[in-house]
Amino acid sequence: MIEWFAGTQQFVLGGVLIWASMFKLGRRAPVAARRSALRKLVGETRAVPAYRAVGLVELLVGALLVTPPVLVVEAYLAVALSVGMLAYLAYAKLRAPEAGCGCLGDKHTPVRGRGFVRAGVLLASGALAAWSTAWWPATLADAPLAWVAVVVAQSAVIVALSPELDHRWLLPLRRWRVRVSHPLARTPVTVPLESSVQQLQRSDAYRSVVGALRSDLLDSWEEGRWRLLTYSADQDGVAATAVFAVPLDGHRPQDIRVALVPESGEVLV
Amino acid sequence: MDSLGRRRFLSKAVLGTTAVTVVGASTIGSFAPEAVAGQRPKLDVEPGAPDPNFVDGRVRSLGKGELLVTSADRSMHRIHLTSATSVWKLRPTTADAAKVGDGLYARGVRLPDGTLAADAVWLNIVNLQVHITSIGRTALHLDHHGDRIVGHVVAGTTAAVYNSTPAVSDLSLLQVGKHAQVIGAWRPDTNEVDLATVYAAA
Repeated sequence: MIEWFAGTQQFVLGGVLIWASMFKLGRRAPVAARRSALRKLVGETRAVPAYRAVGLVELLVGALLVTPPVLVVEAYLAVALSVGMLAYLAYAKLRAPEAGCGCLGDKHTPVRGRGFVRAGVLLASGALAAWSTAWWPATLADAPLAWVAVVVAQSAVIVALSPELDHRWLLPLRRWRVRVSHPLARTPVTVPLESSVQQLQRSDAYRSVVGALRSDLLDSWEEGRWRLLTYSADQDGVAATAVFAVPLDGHRPQDIRVALVPESGEVLV
Repeated sequence: MDSLGRRRFLSKAVLGTTAVTVVGASTIGSFAPEAVAGQRPKLDVEPGAPDPNFVDGRVRSLGKGELLVTSADRSMHRIHLTSATSVWKLRPTTADAAKVGDGLYARGVRLPDGTLAADAVWLNIVNLQVHITSIGRTALHLDHHGDRIVGHVVAGTTAAVYNSTPAVSDLSLLQVGKHAQVIGAWRPDTNEVDLATVYAAA
């Protein structure tokens, strides 16, 4: 049983390593390398060559795992690579928390718990692969349905643990859910204070006294079809309150009224 | 006069529902931009010098009508608030809303004794460029340069501005994966904000 399971791990782990190496050897690698914690680890100039070197090692180990002959040392190499990966993630978390992982793509995502769990899964997968006695196609022939189920499930777990790939499946899924039923569709309809302030700021009434205003919005309340907004003002050295009445129904900045009321209480024109 | 009585009095002053003089906007004077420009007080700050009439920091202690604030450069500032000082904390509020630990911006006039007589105070105000990563029934989950932020929707307060049109309370045009700018009130020492206004494309 464990030999059969080890056979599936050869394939999954080999596949993931080859896939990861494709990003590191591809055209977008320099961008990802500069965003990754490697920049801090080996320096700006050596980040890209180091990134590509990691990609080459991943390609090599991945290819060894998926091609015959089956040697235990391949699995040990994969385990060593995963241990190195965990150490790199720990370094990134501690020393370059803003930097990305650069593990499975050029999408900038800081190192978090998911990255560690993924490296742990790959480590366990490498350890399991060490039990292999036969090349993986033999295990596929033994129980094809179970083999496909294990490979698909494990791949799904690895994808789910990869924040770099969220934009490929998680965001579209959330976008679809919001399109089907928007969670905020039932917010009560009100006239936001912000819209009254925007209307006020575009009005001639506001422009006529803006030079006298001292404060930001002091208070606001509603009176019938009006919203009243007050500001502290200073009219020729006299402390006053500027009161604006803004229509609540519709955008009619020309209808906005203003009064300057001095602290003594009389209306100042 | 209590605040309700004061509101009633000010409503009458501007709406003219009683014998108090009705003041229409046009009675104030010229609406020409030049007339307004002439009223603006001159800036008395040298280019590059710190503005003495502005303070930012965290509230360290509260007194009656005053706040003790520590800035990032560890300088301490005493800030006076009066009934004429506007206080923003998610919405216009009063000086009682200030709590120890709140982030603060204050604008006013520096008095000879070094204290600041504040005209306006903003508590915990933040302005963030974000991506919306998820939308829930009570919150938006936001990505701010790789940091996760929870933006709480506050019924009756949170507004949205789509494509620079007037603000509305309808948030149902916000979309996952899109860019947005958020004005909100930070909940001190957390990664959470209460949303005031969300600017987005629709």
